[in-house]
Amino acid sequence: MRYNVLIGGQAGQGPNILSDLIAKALISNGYYVFYSRDYQSLIRGGHNFNFLSFSDSPIASNSKGIDLLIALDENTINLHKKNCNKKSIILDGNHPNMYHAGAIFKILNMDFKILDNELKELKRRYNENIKEATEGYKSQKTKINLKQLKNKNLSFMNGSQAISQAAINSGLDFYYAYPMTPATGVLTELAQAMKNKKSTHKTIQMENEIAVINTAIGSSMIGKKVMVGTSGGGFDLMTEALSLTGVAGIPLVIYLSQRPGPGTGVPTYTAQGDMNIALKAGHGEFPRIVLAPGDPDEAMTLTSEAFYFSQKYRIPAIIIGDKHLAESKYSSDKSPILIESKNSITKLERFNSYEKDKEGSATDEPEIIIQKIKERLQKKQELKKETKKFETYNIYGTKNSKNVIIAWGSTKGAIIDALPDIDAKFIQIMYLEPFPDISKELKNKNIIVIENNATSPLSDLISEQLQMKIDNKNKILKYDSREFSSDDIVNEVKKRT
Amino acid sequence: MIRTKTKPTWCPGCFNFQILAGVEQYLKRQKEQHAIVTGIGCHAKMFDYINLPGLNTLHGRVIPTCIGMKIADPKLNVIGFSGDGDAYAEGISHLIHAARYNSNFTYLVHDNQVFALTVSQPTPTTEPGFIDKTTPFGVKTPPINPIKLMLSAGCSFVARVYADVKQISNILEKAKKHKGFSFIEVIQPCIIFHPDIGVKERTYMIKNHDTSNLSAAMKLAEEFNYTDGKGKIPLGIFYQIKKPVFEELL
Repeated sequence: MRYNVLIGGQAGQGPNILSDLIAKALISNGYYVFYSRDYQSLIRGGHNFNFLSFSDSPIASNSKGIDLLIALDENTINLHKKNCNKKSIILDGNHPNMYHAGAIFKILNMDFKILDNELKELKRRYNENIKEATEGYKSQKTKINLKQLKNKNLSFMNGSQAISQAAINSGLDFYYAYPMTPATGVLTELAQAMKNKKSTHKTIQMENEIAVINTAIGSSMIGKKVMVGTSGGGFDLMTEALSLTGVAGIPLVIYLSQRPGPGTGVPTYTAQGDMNIALKAGHGEFPRIVLAPGDPDEAMTLTSEAFYFSQKYRIPAIIIGDKHLAESKYSSDKSPILIESKNSITKLERFNSYEKDKEGSATDEPEIIIQKIKERLQKKQELKKETKKFETYNIYGTKNSKNVIIAWGSTKGAIIDALPDIDAKFIQIMYLEPFPDISKELKNKNIIVIENNATSPLSDLISEQLQMKIDNKNKILKYDSREFSSDDIVNEVKKRT
Repeated sequence: MIRTKTKPTWCPGCFNFQILAGVEQYLKRQKEQHAIVTGIGCHAKMFDYINLPGLNTLHGRVIPTCIGMKIADPKLNVIGFSGDGDAYAEGISHLIHAARYNSNFTYLVHDNQVFALTVSQPTPTTEPGFIDKTTPFGVKTPPINPIKLMLSAGCSFVARVYADVKQISNILEKAKKHKGFSFIEVIQPCIIFHPDIGVKERTYMIKNHDTSNLSAAMKLAEEFNYTDGKGKIPLGIFYQIKKPVFEELL
């Protein structure tokens, strides 16, 4: 079973609070919940909506169609009615959002006490909220008689929360950032964690991304664990200093949260167009690690690995996510494994942006230059060797299917949810650099690449790393700045299998 | 050992030797750990000759590196060295914000009013009329006045010295005692591309000046506009006030 609930209204009407109230109640009733956020680059007005799907089995994406439409304004009805059917339940009218919360609890036959407790936890406006919710609850009849399932104690978080939590767990000392959607989620989470005294780290906002990364380098040189976060444009600004970490051997974790480019692009929506800057940005040749989590659980594991590898090899580690992962909320019954974080091995010494001699001064001696380059190549080899012991990719679906889907990052949820309806094995790449050797898995298979971009950098990477060409007609590419639904995947894969 | 074994490659007679000797003289008197950060340009060779930990960083990024070090270790004595290209062109946004943050470190700008290491292009402090291969019709725009800039930005310690051993050594001592961002502009002729044409003889040491008086400091700063060959050039501390220190506020 699966239900889709769309909650829409103007910015400022509170679809996020409403989604969280409903999601938490569903989780305590034993259901798996996922919701994505669709919002515009404005503060008040416009049209925002959250699309929430729930099921009695794990769920990590939306599918097409609306079973329940909660319209906080008239515009929501106009825009989304086309996706409703005869059976769809529509809640509208000029009511505050808590009225709708009450109404939906009754419609889904969920215990009003749960809502009461949630509103108490919210603290502010409790009296008004409970009054509105009670009115809403009384206004409805139960239409979907949800069975009370065993509470599975699921976690419920978005990618930003996962990355922040794992960074703290890895012994984060400083997080430097300049606000930029969709990386701002981590800046907010880590600032709030500091306020709540959940950690001793400091979250510091600097005047621009260039200052952010260079300040981070200053702190990392002293032996502190440091992370910076940004989106594509800010990452571009950081690129020169990224190269500096490469020559100077300074560890740094960089969170790159993608949004559609080029330029300012479509700043509040999602895309996977920045793989190549994560892999190749920065002048000169130097080792790095690039990790692509597909959901919050993996975001936790891979963030801990980013800290581990960047500290151990004194290299930049890039965690590449996107708006869909950063801001969608996923329920999970797994406890992600985090690698134990050791203290930094970096200490204050004579670091240099030049190639340096043994006393740390700039040099142009060919022998030393060759030696330094060989040391960096050696690091790359050792890194590749050690990462082989890690889970660098996942395999799902029909093990011996002749069809193999390859994808990376946030497309994972929709693909996993589509698997029961298609005949395919799914290989999800988590380590983009060093790239895992998956050649054996691909031999004599019908390979399909799925990406949220227009030019399929993953196909290029596969050709470069594994000398395999991906057929253009087998690239399923979505570039409308929206994430895939599981139906998109089912339909598109079926055309190719 | 204050000096490394690296042999200086500055031109014979370069005023950077004066600054280096001044820093050495200052360091000889110090007991606490010091670290240095340099940018890119002739000034940056200081890093190769002074045997202290730190980073010879990218062009224009001395200030954020120093701030990051101070945040990580507030007790460490950090001195940043920049050229005028570093401080007033590539990295000027950091300079203005450094005055606002007031992180507790010393920042020395070797201002020779020219990009010397890239062989003679104009910088933001080069005077109008200056001609080189890239500027055949001469510089047209007026230079910035770094002292006025730092005073307006709210810098808590603003000083100017000439590239002279004693002046450097003394001002570093005063800057070290100051809690906050100590900005020191060093007038440093480039003997090849921007020689001293009567600057040194016009300098004088600031006396009988209230260093907490911002408008008096502004007036002093206006005496020399980095352009004409007239008027006196005041040296010393223009302005010094107490202000909360960035790393202590975090």
